[in-house]
Amino acid sequence: MEDSREITTLQAATILISTIIGVGILPLPLFAVRAGDTGAPLVTLLGIGIAAIGLFIITKLGMRHPQKTIIAYSEEILGKWWGKICSLIVIIFFAFLTGFASREFGAVVITAILGETPLEIVVIVMLLLAAVSVRNNINTFAYIHNFYVPIILAPALIIVVFSLQNGNMIYLQPLTGNNFNEMFSGTLMIASLFQGSFIMTLIIPAMKHPKKAMKASMWAILISGGLYLLIVVATVSVFGTEEIKQLFWPTLELARTTFLPGNILQRLDVVFLSVWVTAVFTTLFSSYYFTAFSIKQFFQLQDHKMLAYFILPFVFILAMLPLNIFQLYQFIENVGKVGLTITILYPLLLLIIDFMKGKRRRGKSGYKQP
Amino acid sequence: MSFFRNRYQRKTLRNASSEEIPSKTLRAHDQERISASLDETVHFMKEILGDNDDFASKHFRIFGRFRAVMFYFTNLTNQDILNNDILKPLMYVPLHLSEKEILLAELKDVITNETLYHSQVKIDDCLDQLIDFILRGETVIVIDGIAEAFHIGTRTVEKRAIEQPETEQAILGPREGFIENIATNISLLRYRLPTADLRVKTMTIGRITKSTVAVCYIKGIANNGVVSEVEKRLSEIDIDAIMDAGYLEQFIEDNPYSPFPQVQSTERPDKTVANILEGRVAILVDGSPFALVVPVVFNQFYQTVEDYSSRFLIGSFVRIARMLALVFSLIIPSLYVSFISFNPELLPTEFAVAVAGGRAGVPYPAVIEVLLIEVSMEVLREATVRLPKQVGGALSIVGVLVIGEAAVNAGLASPITIVVIALTTIGSFATPAYTAAFALRMLRFPIIILAGVFGLYGVVIGVIFIFNHMLSLKSFGVPYMSPVSPGNYQGWKDVVFRSPLWLMPKRPAFLQSANDKRIGGKRNKTMAENKFGNDQQEGDTSGGFERNNNPSSSDNLN
Repeated sequence: MEDSREITTLQAATILISTIIGVGILPLPLFAVRAGDTGAPLVTLLGIGIAAIGLFIITKLGMRHPQKTIIAYSEEILGKWWGKICSLIVIIFFAFLTGFASREFGAVVITAILGETPLEIVVIVMLLLAAVSVRNNINTFAYIHNFYVPIILAPALIIVVFSLQNGNMIYLQPLTGNNFNEMFSGTLMIASLFQGSFIMTLIIPAMKHPKKAMKASMWAILISGGLYLLIVVATVSVFGTEEIKQLFWPTLELARTTFLPGNILQRLDVVFLSVWVTAVFTTLFSSYYFTAFSIKQFFQLQDHKMLAYFILPFVFILAMLPLNIFQLYQFIENVGKVGLTITILYPLLLLIIDFMKGKRRRGKSGYKQP
Repeated sequence: MSFFRNRYQRKTLRNASSEEIPSKTLRAHDQERISASLDETVHFMKEILGDNDDFASKHFRIFGRFRAVMFYFTNLTNQDILNNDILKPLMYVPLHLSEKEILLAELKDVITNETLYHSQVKIDDCLDQLIDFILRGETVIVIDGIAEAFHIGTRTVEKRAIEQPETEQAILGPREGFIENIATNISLLRYRLPTADLRVKTMTIGRITKSTVAVCYIKGIANNGVVSEVEKRLSEIDIDAIMDAGYLEQFIEDNPYSPFPQVQSTERPDKTVANILEGRVAILVDGSPFALVVPVVFNQFYQTVEDYSSRFLIGSFVRIARMLALVFSLIIPSLYVSFISFNPELLPTEFAVAVAGGRAGVPYPAVIEVLLIEVSMEVLREATVRLPKQVGGALSIVGVLVIGEAAVNAGLASPITIVVIALTTIGSFATPAYTAAFALRMLRFPIIILAGVFGLYGVVIGVIFIFNHMLSLKSFGVPYMSPVSPGNYQGWKDVVFRSPLWLMPKRPAFLQSANDKRIGGKRNKTMAENKFGNDQQEGDTSGGFERNNNPSSSDNLN
């Protein structure tokens, strides 16, 4: 049972944007500053660059197989068994990603707004919300993302704009950082925040015009990357690098320092957090959807509706694995690095093999395309 | 083995009983033909309908020669027509036929073509059909020796006059509303749409009520897929009675478990026509003053006809106010609860102090307090709807006073709670579509509870949940939240703002109309040709109107 191909280019781009922007937006300046000190914007920029290359590879690969998702065409390219094994790794990785995103979300919520609520409850409510929504088909998936993008972008932009007036450009100099080794690993860390863009492999087979997928990808990375860069610049220019290293979620602190003119609300951070729930939801929703949908394809099942609830306990257990918030961020860092292999190197490998196979095939059949 | 047989028998039994829900008496005589013998037919009719005292069978002689009987229900038929247009011409031999000898064989043609002064004379020979016609108010005439019967449309049912619609008032715009009679309702549509493309297809639904259902659309504008889907869903309905359009709605909607209406019902002919013109399909039912319109999208429920008949700035402004009211009715109480119980630091300090002061004597947590007042408000609202008009006003004043003043004095609620609830209630009244307002009214309660448990986080979770649900809904294949998501640039012009009509040259794209152009050629000719400001007098050479107006304005200047 295939859904009709209805996703437009704009919808594809909005899916990517809202998937990319997620939990990571809060600790982002911390990662960047740790790696590059005042070079934080540069580190971010490089990270975006790597992510863009990764997304480029994924999109290119998807456009070569516009009818199938990565689960299906990896078997074609690598052979049945290797394809299955790789797909399994991808699925497990996304289950981890879902779990940790929800856990990180829960950690922020119980620290910042709900001091006395148990972490488990917050996490499970979020996962349930995602699970219920995952039961929809891919077109509804696109509608949901499309709907929330403005709600995600607007408050972040408002906070950046309002906080820039407290900014001090001195904090941003020198533009290059000091330690290049550190900077490199930081770049990878930032790039790993863009892992959600792997969802593109699932969207292309549902797009109305798969040929335009590249346009959607590039716009998405431009907008989400631009927002990330703006946030890093704003945070660093307001707090300075040393201050940021003391903060767990510098973006949240940025929201705290922001005032709306006219004193409508005393503080903005809680409002920011509530809107940020939406951003987290869309990210979780994507990775959850990817997990459920890929399992469906892996076992060649009829539909993924039952799977949505079935994988909920597993994801929840994964979310509860880290003992505390420090371990959580260690996990996230490690999984992020593994994730880069999965979301960039693996597709690159597929692309190269596919390319060579394609060439051989074309050579055999005896004609060359210009 | 016997077990299986038992089950099988039970199954067949159930099938049989489900087959005979309706008009049992008639089903026994399915497909029976009328006989040439008059007495036999009279006997048959009396057997089936004779128990009713308002059933009349009148014997008479056509042209003084042929024995005939007329069957009708006295309460359903117009006696004047019966006497003057049917009985009189049948009993007197018409002048132009007086010389001629009329044979039994040609009597049928003579009566239909030359005698009866009535346009709806038809001939039928199925007994069950004839009984059906009698039950619907027609008069059946049977003649001895002819194995066919005439049935004549003589039905008159009292109907009320066309009045202003109760549920959808408009300040600007037509004052007509639908009534119960479907013929009148269709005539209201037809007179606004004098086009050959308007199609009105009727079917009967309801085994006992046999209600006439009309499907109206404009061929070439409405999407064919939608039209056939509507017809398919309607034809699958099998129920004993259709009392109102709402019965149909429940059978044809896409997701019956959703709190949101997926069919729009309206009392206004002008609204129905506007919807038909956009490419939707309207469904009318005999006996209901509501037309159903499908497919719908959510933003239709906060739009009114007034938005379009007033100038676009006014329309947009009113519409924004209405959207705010919608938001109020959904989340204001839960926001209040979460601010008070979880995040009082969000409020400006002076206000927070005032709130705390107001709540000083209230024994309950904010959730309970708000729920209490909300529930009593719902009760009050329901009571005002049911009460006779004369008492209603008094009750609402008493109720508001009791809930407003006395509850605060008694320490049941804080004054700010009352303000919040009042805003919510008024907000839900501002939504033009009763059904949509109801959905949000209902959903308010779970969100309040979520707010009480999780604070702002709960509110956001609840709202996301509702939006996700709305985004996943479809009405006859059209996504419920279009044109917002899936987005459409042309559609956005008519979501929050009501753009000027000449800026919206296309029909809504989500309806996939075959003919999507509304405005031909240049969009706004008047604006393009007129010159504005001071140029107006110089450039105009043929403007008789302008000439007439100018002197008066210069008079004023002097």
